[in-house]
Amino acid sequence: MKKNASLILGIILVSIIIAVWVLSFAFMPYNPNEMNIPSKFLKPDFSSEHILGTDNFGRDILSRIMYGSRNVLLVGVGSVTLGTLIGIFLGAVASMFKRLGNGIIMRVMDGLMAFPGILLAMMLVTVVERGIYGSIIAISIFMVPVFSRLVYSMILDTENLLYIKAARSYGSSKVQIFFRHYIPAMLPKLITQFSSSIGSAVMIETSLSFLGLGIQPPFASWGLMLSESRQFFLVYPYLAVAPGIAIIITVLGFNLIGDGLNDILINRRSHDE
Amino acid sequence: MLSYILNRFRSSIVVLFVVSIITFFVLMIIPGNPAELILGTDATPEMIKDLHAAMGLDRPLYQQYLSWLLNLMKLNMGKSYVYGESVTALIARSLPVTISISIFAMSMAVFVAFFFGMISAIKKNSAIDYFSRSIMQLGAAIPSFWIGMVFIVYFGVRFKLFPVSGFVPIEQGFVKSIKSIFLPSVVLAIGEVGTLLRIIRSSMLDSLKQDYMDMARVKGLSAGKMYIKYALRGALTAPLTIIGMQLAKLAGGTTVVETIFALPGLGRLVLTAVEHRDIVLLQGLVMFITSTVVFITLIVDILVMFLNPRIKSYHQGE
Repeated sequence: MKKNASLILGIILVSIIIAVWVLSFAFMPYNPNEMNIPSKFLKPDFSSEHILGTDNFGRDILSRIMYGSRNVLLVGVGSVTLGTLIGIFLGAVASMFKRLGNGIIMRVMDGLMAFPGILLAMMLVTVVERGIYGSIIAISIFMVPVFSRLVYSMILDTENLLYIKAARSYGSSKVQIFFRHYIPAMLPKLITQFSSSIGSAVMIETSLSFLGLGIQPPFASWGLMLSESRQFFLVYPYLAVAPGIAIIITVLGFNLIGDGLNDILINRRSHDE
Repeated sequence: MLSYILNRFRSSIVVLFVVSIITFFVLMIIPGNPAELILGTDATPEMIKDLHAAMGLDRPLYQQYLSWLLNLMKLNMGKSYVYGESVTALIARSLPVTISISIFAMSMAVFVAFFFGMISAIKKNSAIDYFSRSIMQLGAAIPSFWIGMVFIVYFGVRFKLFPVSGFVPIEQGFVKSIKSIFLPSVVLAIGEVGTLLRIIRSSMLDSLKQDYMDMARVKGLSAGKMYIKYALRGALTAPLTIIGMQLAKLAGGTTVVETIFALPGLGRLVLTAVEHRDIVLLQGLVMFITSTVVFITLIVDILVMFLNPRIKSYHQGE
């Protein structure tokens, strides 16, 4: 039972974020971009109209957090989905056409892996337009090598197993084998990687936004809110609390789900008995 | 053994070659004419055309690439248009900052991770095991810029223990210098310690299950000797690889921390290059950072080979 503690906690945390996201479409206390200078820097107060307070422009922080969840989830889930699909495709192509694969595709992946941390994403946002779609493209390219390597190595590991040989011997095409046999065999690892990758994608998105290279003002993003609060947080530290906690809940949630799935789907026994 | 080293060396060169192609061509897609960017708005078309030709931008792409690559090998990375200085000089000036905080951060992370990782493994499923693992999960999820801001408020402004921004070179006093990099290094260390602790714990657990541990117990060794001389030695290779990867990651991953603490390091240089679309500077930085990464990985792989007799004999057998 305690084996799944991380999965359960992760699901709870991610549910909170998804609930906030859903609520942002149904009910938002204020317009997140509406400025109201007279009521700026209101401290968080649960009995007042602005539960989490207001920022330097008098914008309601709760509404901005809620609106920000849309961008964060869109970029996080969108970029990882895109990266996964491209990664699976490239990994599969590389394993089917070994010479092209090992010679070109996997070498390019090695090259992409040599970019540390957010350097690759930063280099890519120089080229693409800054904003939601720019961030999605930059982060998805960051994700591609992880997934293509995973798929490539898993296919190499399984291609000599009997059931694959059998499928080949009765004339299944490479594409058929891929969808019917490889994909189901790879699914546990892919799902696990997918979940933890969302955690890191959210982290990269907020870092990019914090540096001013991601989502652009006046739109709300948690990283951007933190970056905007930098000038004022020595006097009004509460400005940094809500976006920080929102980021932590999201990243922790997806990481924990990844860990929990890893324990259940992959290392069934190796973990604590 | 030598063949393994040569093999690894060759693949490192291939990776760097691929990186150079990616970097050069990705940054070539950028819209806008660099000559226009440098000369500003009041340049005449002739001036732009002249500079364009002088920069060699009218040649075919592959020729530009080859001459860029050749210059790169001679450590001539061109001139940054934002700073008006050679990229090599800029890197040389920023490097000490990034190296100091990276090494300081990794030493802290290594120390903490080994300490708690070993205890976690030895006292598996104890309260301290759960505690250290939960703290590390949390550490991996806290954004470095957020924790940096919290540190500035508490340790910098409230308690005035550390300066909140700027870098003091070591020549201006050792203590001052350490103080100026302490907070940023702690922030970086928090981000790295979780992964490392997890690897140390799991390879320690593996190592504790091996036969040589029974042997150590039978010999009646003291706990300290048993755990450090036997278990830890057998559990060293995986953490070492991770430490290498993390050091490499910090070479290019310090932008956020350097921004918060206003440190003039490589990361800030990268940010400036991206903000101003200073392609020459960015190309130089990317190549420099990725080369460092590839070099560190190579060294670590060779070290691991020496530490791990199994890899050594495997490659000797070839």
